[in-house]
Amino acid sequence: MGQLGFLFVANLCVWGGIFFYILTLKKRQAAMEKDLLLLKEESGKDGD
Amino acid sequence: MAEENSSKEISSSPGGLFWLTAGTMLAALIAIYLWVPTEKNEGIVQRIMYFHIPCAWLAFFAFFIVFVSSILFLWKKEREWDIYAHCSAEIGVVFCSLVLVTGPIWARPIWGVWWVWDARLTSTLVLWLIYIAYLMLRGQTEAESTRARYAAVVGIVGFLDIPLIHFSVLWWRTFHPKPKVISAEGLGQGMDPSMLATLCISLAAFTLLYCLLMGRRVALERTKDEIDRLKREKLYSS
Repeated sequence: MGQLGFLFVANLCVWGGIFFYILTLKKRQAAMEKDLLLLKEESGKDGD
Repeated sequence: MAEENSSKEISSSPGGLFWLTAGTMLAALIAIYLWVPTEKNEGIVQRIMYFHIPCAWLAFFAFFIVFVSSILFLWKKEREWDIYAHCSAEIGVVFCSLVLVTGPIWARPIWGVWWVWDARLTSTLVLWLIYIAYLMLRGQTEAESTRARYAAVVGIVGFLDIPLIHFSVLWWRTFHPKPKVISAEGLGQGMDPSMLATLCISLAAFTLLYCLLMGRRVALERTKDEIDRLKREKLYSS
């Protein structure tokens, strides 16, 4: 692999790593929002 | 009301900080690939430095926030500081991982090897392992107050490795180059001005990225707290 190849792989790792982490945060956020909505609905039913 | 705020905060559309980070990141990429001259000894692969050093800076900064937040948590016993420490540790581990990945990719064409067990590399690996242990500890301990206290102690002790990492290249003979930005000759004296400017733009972009990620991560943790509170309320009411 030439120097350009190493530079490309390093870039891929940095940006890939950052995007993967942001994606993980988004996924966790979606799951939590779903949980929160469910809990709110349930507590609303209990209140009735 | 609190849950409404936290979920609103998470799902809000990109704000000013997002666009500022994106703009600075774009400026950093333009400077790295179109403006800064190629280093004459190492060639084009030296451009990895403009990602490698900011990742290291971000990891150290994140662990410094863990250190300060942990001290404040032990002192004030407020959950807020524990949240900051936890979120910052997670971001720090992500960027410390990137340092440990980009370092060997840079080292292979320059040193001829992927890894050497010298003081700088080994102490950085130890730092990564300490904060991995920190996150594992948080995942394993059940009681919230115990978990926060134990984690705070690890967060404080773990930070002591950072000065060791910085001075390792000065105290011992290592493969790793000596500091050029913060050197004995003065701030940035060991570097070409255009290289220093590019590095500064990249450092600013990564610092803004930390603020952006931290905001998102803290909001997520607050939502988790809200879910736990609602679950507890439901349990007691049934």
